[in-house]
Amino acid sequence: MFDWSFVTRYAPFFVNGALITLYISVLGIALSIGVGFVCALAEITRIPVLRQIVRFYIELSRNTPLLIQLYFLYFGFPKLGIVWSSETCAIVGLGFLGGSYMSEAFRGGLQTVPASQYEAAYVLGLSKWQTLRRLVLPQAFGLCVPALVANVIFLIKESSVVSAIALADVMYVTRDLIGMYYSTYESLFLLIVTYLVILLPISLFGLWLERRFDYERR
Amino acid sequence: MSGVELLLQPSVLPRLLSGLWVTVWIAVVSVAGSIPVGLVTGWLMTRRNAFVRFLMRLYLDFIRIMPQLALLFIAFYGLARLWNWNLDATGACVLVFILWGGAELGDLVRAALQSIPASQYDSAYVLGLSTWQTYTRIIIPLALRRMLPASVNLATRIVKTTSLAVLLGVVEVVKVGQQIIDVYRFRCPDGALWIYGAIFLMYFFICWPLSLLARHLERKWSHD
Amino acid sequence: MTEFAQSDLSQSDLSQRDLAQSDVAQPSLAQANLARDTSTRDASAQASPADDSDKPALSVRHLTKTYAHATSPVLNDVSFDVPKGKVFVVLGPSGSGKSTLLRAIAGLEPIQGGTIALHGDVIDEGKPGRLTGRSKRASALRTRIGMVFQSYDLFPNKTVLGNITLAPTLVLKRKSSDVRDEAMQLLERVHLADRANSWPHELSGGQRQRVAICRALIEHPEVLLLDEITAALDPEMVREVLDVVLELADNGQTMVLVTHEMRFAEAIADHVILLEDGSIVDSTDDPKEFFTHPQSERAKKFLGSFEYKRHDSQPASDRS
Repeated sequence: MFDWSFVTRYAPFFVNGALITLYISVLGIALSIGVGFVCALAEITRIPVLRQIVRFYIELSRNTPLLIQLYFLYFGFPKLGIVWSSETCAIVGLGFLGGSYMSEAFRGGLQTVPASQYEAAYVLGLSKWQTLRRLVLPQAFGLCVPALVANVIFLIKESSVVSAIALADVMYVTRDLIGMYYSTYESLFLLIVTYLVILLPISLFGLWLERRFDYERR
Repeated sequence: MSGVELLLQPSVLPRLLSGLWVTVWIAVVSVAGSIPVGLVTGWLMTRRNAFVRFLMRLYLDFIRIMPQLALLFIAFYGLARLWNWNLDATGACVLVFILWGGAELGDLVRAALQSIPASQYDSAYVLGLSTWQTYTRIIIPLALRRMLPASVNLATRIVKTTSLAVLLGVVEVVKVGQQIIDVYRFRCPDGALWIYGAIFLMYFFICWPLSLLARHLERKWSHD
Repeated sequence: MTEFAQSDLSQSDLSQRDLAQSDVAQPSLAQANLARDTSTRDASAQASPADDSDKPALSVRHLTKTYAHATSPVLNDVSFDVPKGKVFVVLGPSGSGKSTLLRAIAGLEPIQGGTIALHGDVIDEGKPGRLTGRSKRASALRTRIGMVFQSYDLFPNKTVLGNITLAPTLVLKRKSSDVRDEAMQLLERVHLADRANSWPHELSGGQRQRVAICRALIEHPEVLLLDEITAALDPEMVREVLDVVLELADNGQTMVLVTHEMRFAEAIADHVILLEDGSIVDSTDDPKEFFTHPQSERAKKFLGSFEYKRHDSQPASDRS
């Protein structure tokens, strides 16, 4: 009934798909972290115009689906003369969407460091730079981590739509195989296994990280 | 013809809006369906029976870790065949969103219930309130306040996820948009930019007010 | 401090108490007794309130309790009687079981041994097997004991008035207009009548505790339990709450208090018990003597923990 030979024969296709997914995701996440970090800094500075722009960007990217953003980049931009490959569109799209989530994570971390920490450092005689470097940023980092990991998982999941702009990722392979060989159960099985293999370790890693950085509880 | 003229063509905007209506309809039904599922799973998660909690955990974790598109494929291609359902694409979407939305909501319900201090239950007990009275008058109103902002956020996410329906072939706003682009391919070569731009804005103007509402509710009840 | 007519209030207090008890509490109490097959049932179980002025308001006998995974009991053969209208103060170092004792009396924790009786009616009996979960007491029975906690947990989704009137209307089935009037009277007594329609989060800790006391009082409890109700308050607010408790004592409310405020304990107590590691190690009817000239070693040690002394040779008065 369940064709295991199919599973073994076509597993490599899924591995390839997974590699594409990971390739896009990693670059997209890196871009989003960069964008997010810059935005978080911009929100902390008191320059009003900068903060408005960042706010506008965050609202725009968080209230629209990634799929639409990708279609807009892939089909729409060429009309403006900007022709990007599928990969580039996917990476830019993930970076655009992810950037706002990452900036929220960074901002949350920085804001959660209590004012009393700054005050304690001041009274002890530490300079502003020392305070930031040795006390605030490490604590902020620890506070950000759960949100950052959650965002990473979120973005990898979101990347599952890139098959819509002709990228041969895991979903693309699944649909192809189901279409070609009517091997529904086997293909879906491979689909589930592939995503579990990618996402479960990261999830567990996130849980471990969260516990390790939870200074409060320790 | 320019993109703006395209949008102003008599059939274009109405057709897009009718597609949007399908999107909204799927989202509303999914949100409505998620509520009972979420309430039940959330409540089950707070029960003492470890086996029940384990089952719920399994269901929740699986649904939340898999990408929604993968879940749609599983439902549409897999479950339909497995149980010989004649599940059309829209049905598959609604089913998946209810299960997924319900799982997410269940987690919110659980968190809200667990965040209520034991002393509230104690106070109600020593005053003589029955279990039913305690839950309906004190605990549930409190839990609702804690859940509502995140629930509204969840509704926003469900709306955004309905865009995936186009990949299963559902004729919702994106599909309609693509059809329009095709029809006007020669008359308006820049159509794609404007149509997708319009759809982009349509999603924005549905989701953004919901986000604002969620934030407003959170601020209003933050003292609890 | 506003004076209030003591005699007036205690009159209306008593008459209302009679009303409430004869209306509702008696039948349900009979039910509660029927549900238990206690071998030590008192013949006076069916008596009306006027008859048992000779019975202690609260009687705790051989109370024993152990937590589910603990090796030693948290309450070990604790026995005492609280006569009607008297104030019992329970003192002791942390971890001695004071809170647990109060919670067990209120029915929030199950007991494995001993009995608890109100005016002669046994309301709870120890069951060795039952380690977790609440004592399953009937609603009406629970209203006979009132409790105020340290963590001033008013219900956030109800106003001050709503908090106070909720239970009497729902549980005791009293008329809401009567309940409202009495609630306002109680709020007057604690000087919070003007905050009747405020929400809990708008009040300070001291105000919330005073409302919590009103909430407990409106059910006319035979015994009021107060578990370190000022421990979580800022010092300025402790006074306003304790003044209310003193008034209650003056009015004849039977109370069992756990507190760390020693001066207050000395002023209010009719009887003091010292609890250590779950057992009563000292018990006296003369609180003044206890606080000024403690007799037992344990008492000396406990009270000594509240004294501070510098160890430099110069006495304080010589330093200028």
